[in-house]
Amino acid sequence: MVPDAQFGWSGTIEGVILGATKSDGGTRRVSYRIGGGTTLPFLEEDPTSPSPLIAFEVCDFPPFWSPLVKDYCGDLVNNLAEWAKTADTRYRADLIRLHLNSTRQRNFSDIPAVGKAVETVLSATGLPLIIEGSNEPKIDSEVFQRCGETGQGERLLLGTAEASHYRSIAAAALAYNHSVIAQSPIDVNLAKQLNILLKEIGVQRDHIVIDPYTGALGYGFEYSYSAMERIRFAALKGDTDLAMPIICSAADTLTIKEVREADPAMQDAVAVSWEFYTGIAAAAAGAEIICVRHPETIGMLREAFASMKARNSAGGE
Amino acid sequence: MALKALDIYKLLPKKNCKECGDPTCLTFAMKLAGGKADVELCPYLDEQAKSVLGATTRPPVRLVKVGVGERFFKIGEETVLYRHEKTFYHPPGILFRVSDMQSADEIAAVTRRVRDESFTRVGTDLRFSGIAIENTSGSAETFASAVATVEKQQAHLPPVLIAKDPAAFSAALVHCGSYRPLLHAATAENYQAMCGFAKQHGCPLVIRAGSLDGLVRLAKDCMAEGVQDLILDPAPENLGAFISRSARIRQLAITRSVPELGYPVYLDATLTGLQDAALVLGIVKYASVIVTSPLAPGSAKASLTLRQNIYTDPQKPIQMNPGLYRVGNPDRDSPVLMTVNFSLTFFTLEGYIESSRVPCFMLIVDTEGLSVLTAVAAGKLNETLVRDSLKKFGVDNEVTHRKLIIPGYASPLSGRIEEATGWKVLVGPRDAAEIGEYLHEEWKKQA
Repeated sequence: MVPDAQFGWSGTIEGVILGATKSDGGTRRVSYRIGGGTTLPFLEEDPTSPSPLIAFEVCDFPPFWSPLVKDYCGDLVNNLAEWAKTADTRYRADLIRLHLNSTRQRNFSDIPAVGKAVETVLSATGLPLIIEGSNEPKIDSEVFQRCGETGQGERLLLGTAEASHYRSIAAAALAYNHSVIAQSPIDVNLAKQLNILLKEIGVQRDHIVIDPYTGALGYGFEYSYSAMERIRFAALKGDTDLAMPIICSAADTLTIKEVREADPAMQDAVAVSWEFYTGIAAAAAGAEIICVRHPETIGMLREAFASMKARNSAGGE
Repeated sequence: MALKALDIYKLLPKKNCKECGDPTCLTFAMKLAGGKADVELCPYLDEQAKSVLGATTRPPVRLVKVGVGERFFKIGEETVLYRHEKTFYHPPGILFRVSDMQSADEIAAVTRRVRDESFTRVGTDLRFSGIAIENTSGSAETFASAVATVEKQQAHLPPVLIAKDPAAFSAALVHCGSYRPLLHAATAENYQAMCGFAKQHGCPLVIRAGSLDGLVRLAKDCMAEGVQDLILDPAPENLGAFISRSARIRQLAITRSVPELGYPVYLDATLTGLQDAALVLGIVKYASVIVTSPLAPGSAKASLTLRQNIYTDPQKPIQMNPGLYRVGNPDRDSPVLMTVNFSLTFFTLEGYIESSRVPCFMLIVDTEGLSVLTAVAAGKLNETLVRDSLKKFGVDNEVTHRKLIIPGYASPLSGRIEEATGWKVLVGPRDAAEIGEYLHEEWKKQA
């Protein structure tokens, strides 16, 4: 008999809850608990741990969004409620990630509109939400406060905290019991540092999701891939400051040269391939939330994740 | 347990005869200890020393060569589970599959595609690796004629022969036996016949079993038959079974716990019905030979790019040659953007400049592959380097203005660069994604 492979793991990835159903004081149709892993991703058969979740990204200011997605989704992108609803019922995403990219406009100050966008998506879909707020010190505090308040009781995932600005997000998360995406620039030590900063101001470990920053395939993806593996490795070796689930969002994918300059007839297919290859590799490295912007990527990822979770019944391992 | 170099040295003849190709017995011992040399290279070892050393010094994953000539590829000799622990050495061969039921024209077209198609990325040509020919017809004759069709294209591509019937191999090997094809596959039922072919033609052999125990038994049987260049096909029913078996094989091999698993892994990406996902997982999770149907353009580029990414040595950043690069057709009034020679920085910035449609010069200075942030922190990026690079690459002959855009993260250097060069320094954005906006708004104000 072949002996079992020894890896020497001792740690467990912290569980993080996304979304709250009625019984938990929210209004979501489903909620998820990610994390809980004790080995390399997909190494063991573990029916209790869920497949990686697929988040579809939408935004409240389409002029700043990828033309490819705008062409594919058509008028839908101009109607946030319908777009989110379609992502839920037709594209079959697990999560909606709302980018409040209206806040990236110069001198943006319409804070009530931010709350309204969050509300719109909350009522359009029963899926748990990730909310991507502003990145401008002058308005961060108000924006995140408004997001947190609007989503009170819904266990949102708020993004994105970085070492240079994390207080506003953390404050909103703490006040309204949401979780936080902690992003560091492709470096395991910086990821740990930021988690410690968050811990010091009171964010609990089970309210943090690590974003190691994902470079597009061909544009530094290997660094992100290894950062994910290192984070997972450190966590399994017992480093609790890194033992949080990982989110992967290769946001630049649709703007890279290979996609931009593809034959127009092939452009969607190339974009989907690029998102898909990145998503599968990231999941193999340990990412538990995979964000995509092209609707066609979702079904492909879901089918592949089911097969990655599967085992043969005959055994033989 | 692996032996240390000095323990190995004690067993060597200490003649320093150089016949192994190393200058001294000690350097040979160090290579053996690192799994980087073969005991057989030393002509003076007695059998006992060989058997002691053989088991502990041979590479934990055997090096196997597939094909001959320019396009042959090497696989195996891997030492780690994670690329960040050292690096992955030999990228998997990705081979397009044809069936002998396809027409000769179709088979020839796929062969020519693999022969000719190549993408250039980061200065490297990326190509698919060979052709796998499958005996789906059940006829040995049809199989042989498909193999002959492939060989007629003069592509000299490494072949994989996939069949069940020994008669089919017998007929096909007439056409490609001397090109070191990979034979797929020996099973518990047919391994003796398959070993016979492998020995006769000196070619590597895939062994196929749906469990690690089965693979170990087959590996032992084939070794007993005298075949050493083996490749393991764990016959996964689904993607989970592949990840699980492949990761266990790698871990048991590199820890030398089960030497019979110390061979490269084979993956038929078509079998799970999820070819693209299987390709990705094969690349990241230790497959060394991946057979796939001919890929659509998007998957083709994505898979070759992923393979290149994952098999990049994480210890050595890919560097660009320092110099003055043109994006679009810049003229004497075009902006000059300075940045470092870390290839990722270069290609990211270049991509965003291209999409801005503003013709530019990129002045790439030699920071030994460090990124802007680390080069500034380490003092590698400084005013002297910028001054010397401007001069060396004759930037003042190319443009009439004297304005230099530097990366946002290099802003602490702006004053010193102005003093050292006499050029007016403009601090650009930190994020390359914002360069388009910068060029259209800030630069226009300056110009």
